[in-house]
Amino acid sequence: MAVTENLFWYGCNMTRHGEIIRLSQRLLEAVGVGAAPVGGPGACCGSPKESTPRIAEGMADRTMDKFNSWARGVPSPEGRESAVQKPGVITWCPSCHMNLDDFMGQSKAQDFDSRHLCEALWERRDALAPLLTHPVKARFLVDRHVGFHAQVPVNDIIPGLLSMIPGAEHVDHKLRGASYMCFGLANVPGALPDHLRATLDAVRESGADTLVTIFHSCHREMVGLERDHGVRVLNWVHLLAEGMGWDYTDDYKTWRNAPDKLAAIGPDRVAEAGEVAVRKLVLPELERPRPV
Amino acid sequence: MGARERMVARHEDWSALRASETARMTEACTQCGACAEACPMLPYAPAAQGAAAPELVRGVLDALAGGPSDPAALAWIAACTRTGSCNAACPEAVNPMLMLRLAKWRANETGALARRDASETMSRVKVFARLGFTEEEQREWL
Repeated sequence: MAVTENLFWYGCNMTRHGEIIRLSQRLLEAVGVGAAPVGGPGACCGSPKESTPRIAEGMADRTMDKFNSWARGVPSPEGRESAVQKPGVITWCPSCHMNLDDFMGQSKAQDFDSRHLCEALWERRDALAPLLTHPVKARFLVDRHVGFHAQVPVNDIIPGLLSMIPGAEHVDHKLRGASYMCFGLANVPGALPDHLRATLDAVRESGADTLVTIFHSCHREMVGLERDHGVRVLNWVHLLAEGMGWDYTDDYKTWRNAPDKLAAIGPDRVAEAGEVAVRKLVLPELERPRPV
Repeated sequence: MGARERMVARHEDWSALRASETARMTEACTQCGACAEACPMLPYAPAAQGAAAPELVRGVLDALAGGPSDPAALAWIAACTRTGSCNAACPEAVNPMLMLRLAKWRANETGALARRDASETMSRVKVFARLGFTEEEQREWL
């Protein structure tokens, strides 16, 4: 891991969204926060293996050791903005964030501070606002869930950040999905289709033309709505990037909505990733039935 | 560490944390049922339909203690998505959201609830990384 003042801990399932990781790092850098991305199986909070807690704990302990070792290698705070500021882990995933607070930091000493990406950007909003010079014409509704808001006020911060983009108009709605992101709903029969239908109703009722997702699992579930229901679907980081005038490509959305997924990915990329593995592990996800 | 203050661990490991939290929750919970009444996921737990809220909580506490619990409570535990509505409703600050999560872990261990199959999760994460990350990003970010 690079020796920067911060790590950007993107989690594990975010490997589907490389462009969001790149844009997040670039946004942080633009407001003066250096952060090296880290994630994947080698920096796991244990959440994917939660039904076997002993394994989850082992993975989480390894991640804490890795982060602590990194934090001890960060140069002393002399000359930094705050003399008592510790190295920081900037989180993306709410599962990681909550596991860090509820378990990892309760059973291991912690040599670093932590905060969510949206908090890190909100703290620097005075630096961010003047950089958002590219008008984006959008009436956006944010897909908000209730479960993580008590830890980090994402449901307020993210509309606040996006409202700094010239031309972008936040349209409020009372809808708050259950769980803390769509992943939880996808594992309970009937819950995700109900949330997607309620979201489409909210889009219509509010007159939104753009649906903004907060988390990766919500983005995975919502991008299909763009093809079938005529609403543009972006992640909040995508919208900020557009406000900065930055180009990006949302590969996952392209692949999920393409009639021929392998052709959309492209033969070279499939070959580089391993065609057998792509057919076994990626295609079933991209081709899964659409709940609505 | 110089001026940096190290945050110390409060528990030796997750087992100790779970044991401590289980004891605290068992003592603090009055089984009033406010958490179950506030839960928006109960409609997605068919086996819990018609069960009295205090009964559901008693079943969760039984699962938390490693007991067999009952179908209604297990259905509620399985349908929990950590919405947190229960925490806002709890008059005793039990943290029912964590209580159901720990009960689910215990029920997974005793076999009362089937484990979620996550055997391919990390393999899938790696293949997506190979598809979407450059070689340098794979070296630096994973």
